[in-house]
Amino acid sequence: MEEPPLREEEEEGDEAGPEGALGKSPFQLTAEDVYDISYVMGRELMALGSDPRVTQLQFKIVRVLEMLETLVNEGNLTVEELRMERDNLRTEVEGLRREGSAAGGEVNLGPDKMVVDLTDPNRPRFTLQELRDVLQERNKLKSQLLVAQEELQCYKSGLIPPREGPGGRREKDTLVARANNARSNKEEKTIIRKLRDRGGFVHLGDKSKPPDFRTTDAGCGRSSSRR
Amino acid sequence: MAKKTYDLLFKLLLIGDSGVGKTCVLFRFSDDAFNTTFISTIGIDFKIKTVELQGKKIKLQIWDTAGQERFHTITTSYYRGAMGIMLVYDITNGKSFENISKWLRNIDEHANEDVERMLLGNKCDMDDKRVVPKGKGEQIAREHGIRFFETSAKANINIEKAFLTLAEDILRKPLKLHIVSHPKYLGPKDFEGRCCSETSL
Repeated sequence: MEEPPLREEEEEGDEAGPEGALGKSPFQLTAEDVYDISYVMGRELMALGSDPRVTQLQFKIVRVLEMLETLVNEGNLTVEELRMERDNLRTEVEGLRREGSAAGGEVNLGPDKMVVDLTDPNRPRFTLQELRDVLQERNKLKSQLLVAQEELQCYKSGLIPPREGPGGRREKDTLVARANNARSNKEEKTIIRKLRDRGGFVHLGDKSKPPDFRTTDAGCGRSSSRR
Repeated sequence: MAKKTYDLLFKLLLIGDSGVGKTCVLFRFSDDAFNTTFISTIGIDFKIKTVELQGKKIKLQIWDTAGQERFHTITTSYYRGAMGIMLVYDITNGKSFENISKWLRNIDEHANEDVERMLLGNKCDMDDKRVVPKGKGEQIAREHGIRFFETSAKANINIEKAFLTLAEDILRKPLKLHIVSHPKYLGPKDFEGRCCSETSL
């Protein structure tokens, strides 16, 4: 922002020739300008002739110009350094401001909120209810597997007579495939029936439902009627 | 294999802080094995083991819960159907012992009133790292009127004894509870439903 006009003026000075340096702002002087000035002044001093007082003045003027040269160089160096530092700080501030706005957004969410990084493959993405459902289904299937394994064991060990096998098995297969409710109703009846038949310690009176004729009396069959 | 698969089904529940060894205790009992790698239980899992007590074949359906706080809403919904609850702490972890009162409160809030409770101080093989004296476990168990065992899933100490004792205690309970011991469903809701439909018997 500040550099373009500066350059323009420098260019103007160049165009204006050595005398142009004298018309410049002291804060924009360069070593080159100082040499221009010394050229201009040297020329004019020479025009004054070889008066010893002029010679004496010329030494002093040279000395002053040298001092000016040093100051101008030094000043310009400092300005350059300051400019670099300013640019660095500006970049730094911008970075902090960007971080700050991100952090600011987080704070605005409130103490019980969190920010989810959508690019994180391990980000949370399922609800508690979904987890609950999956776990329930897993456990249901696991228990069905256990029942099936036990039943299989019964067949293998010949505890269920082969003639009873196919029919009974088919029935059980359908049973497993059936909806949960229908299934548990049937099983409930089976257990109730079982207890009643055994003259168990409790009298289970299930008046609302007709007796279940599916009951298998073999021990293993019974195992298939619960999950 | 025996002719009858089982006469009664008892539903047990394991609770306690994360990392105290609930899954290992259960794994030792169900499979007589031990694994040193720690895998945090996701939500809830179960294992089945049939035991014989007083001439009855009892199928134990043992629910293993995640100790981590973030699963608590899931795990507490399984308290209701439990007939016995094992509360486990780690004798090398003072915090897990301090939290016992919190777990007992959970039981009071979510479980059946007549649920059989038991306290286990696990990892008793690691005596060099012990921070909870046995006497402290015994004391808190006495205060709450529940049984207590120090166990080690790793060294197989008192594991079977604890489960069998809990099952025996349930077996001694009034008849009503035994009706409920014929559940067909493993989830909390169905169990609850059954429980209620049979209380009139």
